Amino acid sequence: MSQNMISEEAVQLNVEAKDWEDAIRKSAQPLVTLQKVKPEYIDAIILTVKETGPYFVIMEHVAMPHADSRYGVMENGFSLATLKEAVCFGHENDPVKYLICLSSVDNDQHLKNISRVAELLSDESFFKMLDETTDKEKICERINGGKEEA
Amino acid sequence: MYRILVACRAGVGSSLILKIKMNQVIEENNLPIVIEHSNLDGVPGFNGDAIFTLSDVAQELKESYPDRYIVGIKNIIDKADLLAKMRQFLADKEQK
Repeated sequence: MSQNMISEEAVQLNVEAKDWEDAIRKSAQPLVTLQKVKPEYIDAIILTVKETGPYFVIMEHVAMPHADSRYGVMENGFSLATLKEAVCFGHENDPVKYLICLSSVDNDQHLKNISRVAELLSDESFFKMLDETTDKEKICERINGGKEEA
Repeated sequence: MYRILVACRAGVGSSLILKIKMNQVIEENNLPIVIEHSNLDGVPGFNGDAIFTLSDVAQELKESYPDRYIVGIKNIIDKADLLAKMRQFLADKEQK
C-alpha cells in the first residue's frame, strides 16, 4: 500500500460519549486535527443523521460516519474510535461501540482503503483485538499492514 | 445477466463495501448478476433490475419508487444474507 491508511493520532480507545452526536464528534475529530476535513464536515455528518437517519450503522455495533466529499473534504482519511459505553443511534444495529469515520476524495487510493475496511469488518479477530489491546501502534499496523484474506 | 444498482447517500462508504461484498458472493456462487454503483442521485436514471441499499435507505426509496425492486441490507458484510437476498431476487425475476 503506497500510503498508510491510518495513523496513531487517528485512533482513540475507550472514548466516553454521552450520545450518538457526541460519539460522532469525538470519533471524527482526528480527521479535522490531521487536516483531512474541515470542521464543517462533522456538522454535515450530524445534519445528515438528523435529516435522514443513521444509515451508516452498517452492521451490529459498528457505525461508519461519513458525508459527501463536497462538505469540506481535503484528503482521504480514516479515524477509529471505540467507546467506553456503547451509544444508541436509533438504528436496528444498536448499540454502537465501534466508529470508523472516513473522508474520501474518491480515487483509487480510497478504493483500496475501503476494500481493506471491508476485510477488517469481516474479521472477528479484528474486533477482539480492539476490545483487548490498548496498543494503538499494534492496531495501526493491523489496519495498514496485513493483506490476509478475511 | 441482471443488473443491480448498489447505492447509498454519499456513495463513498457503506455502498462501496456492500458492492465489494456482493461481488464476492456473485463470483463465489456464479450468479448472473452485474453490480453497478452510485450515490442516491443515480437511482432515478437507473434502468436495471433491482436496487440494493442499506435497510433504512431502502425504506425511504420504497416510498419514493414503489414500482422498483428494492432490497434493504442490515449487515453489509453478512455474505450468507447477501446470497439469500440475491437468490430471492433471481427467483422473483424467473417467476415473471
